[in-house]
Amino acid sequence: MTSSNRTDRWIPDAVEALKQADVEVVAHLPDSKIGPLIEAVESDSAFETVQVAREEAAIGVLTGAWVGGTRGALLCQSSGLANAINAIGSLTLPARTPFFAVVTRRGNLGEFNVAQVPVGYNIDRILDDFGVRNDTVTEADDVGHHIRLAAESAFSTATPYIILLEQTVTGSKLEGL
Amino acid sequence: MSDGTPKTADQTACTRRLLDVTPDAVLVSNLGVASYVLAGVADRERNFYQWGSMGVTIPVGVGLALVSDEHVTVLEGDGSLLMSLGELTTVAQHNLDNLTVVVWDNETYATTGGQPTRSPAVDFVGVAESCGVHATEVHSTNAFETAYRNAIATDGTSMIVCRVDPVDTDDRPPIDYPTIARRVRDAIADDPDQ
Ligand SMILES: Cc1ncc(C[n+]2csc(CCOP(=O)(O)OP(=O)(O)O)c2C)c(N)n1
Ligand SMILES: [Mg+2]
Repeated sequence: MTSSNRTDRWIPDAVEALKQADVEVVAHLPDSKIGPLIEAVESDSAFETVQVAREEAAIGVLTGAWVGGTRGALLCQSSGLANAINAIGSLTLPARTPFFAVVTRRGNLGEFNVAQVPVGYNIDRILDDFGVRNDTVTEADDVGHHIRLAAESAFSTATPYIILLEQTVTGSKLEGL
Repeated sequence: MSDGTPKTADQTACTRRLLDVTPDAVLVSNLGVASYVLAGVADRERNFYQWGSMGVTIPVGVGLALVSDEHVTVLEGDGSLLMSLGELTTVAQHNLDNLTVVVWDNETYATTGGQPTRSPAVDFVGVAESCGVHATEVHSTNAFETAYRNAIATDGTSMIVCRVDPVDTDDRPPIDYPTIARRVRDAIADDPDQ
């Protein structure tokens, strides 16, 4: 239905960037905007994918993968990242392990769902407040470059880094949670 | 039940037994008592003690077992499992041969003072099986060892629910959290079998 959206070029760029950053494990829980990226990653044999039932489990899965010597990433929406906050604060940060996520930032431009607004609109400040670096991507052309640089920084500094994709990138829709 | 069978296993003895059976396993231990007991039994390079992230212990084991050939055994608590029962669906998705999950079911939040959990009302084996994870329950140290040997020998992931009495110990992991994580990572990376 939305596959002809002109902004869809960000998806192959994101897949390529994850590969260039040596990400091999992808944990995921969809929203309607990141769903196509999850599908692209699932159908690419370069990635081992892990479907989590709640996003904080991804912090455990990806920390375990890193301890086992492998880089991973979480794909989810901003409410899902909020579900993972205690795990970031009580595992990633104090154990000084890396964590990388590509998150559809909801609640801002184009948002139709009021339930996405309080967490989604403020997610960058919530992350800043507990010292988790994040970068908001507003242009589809920047997706690949920013994912690559953010992932490199997360893994080389062994700290979390979150890429937030605005709806100017992922495409705003009048429905779809 | 007055057939003389002990109703509970001994968590410390079981921790010792599982190390006898799998001396080289990577152990991911739940925050609090599971980690304290493990540290008291044997502080090893391959102990990934958790200090927080309650409800996320089993996923750490899934990630480790997914990317490595090491045997990974998770030492979970009943309270932590109850916080995140949905994670069993992720365990089932991968059903990894090199992953075993042990749940120390002491029916309490022992680490925070022994407040009761809802565990007595929960059939953990039934929950696990209905999520697609093979599971069994044991009530003695000997039965635990047998179940653990079976779990290691069987394909796919098995979960062993081990009824124990709450343990109170002053033992603690002797190194700080970043060192714990790096020590496990280095031990796996240095493994010539990997
Ligand atoms: C998210 C969260 N909620 C509550 C706590 C407080 N807390 C720390 S350990 C613990 C008990 C864990 O119970 P269980 O998993 O059964 O392990 P046990 O202490 O019985 O070994 C609790 C409630 C916490 N650290 N994190
Ligand atoms: Mg308990």
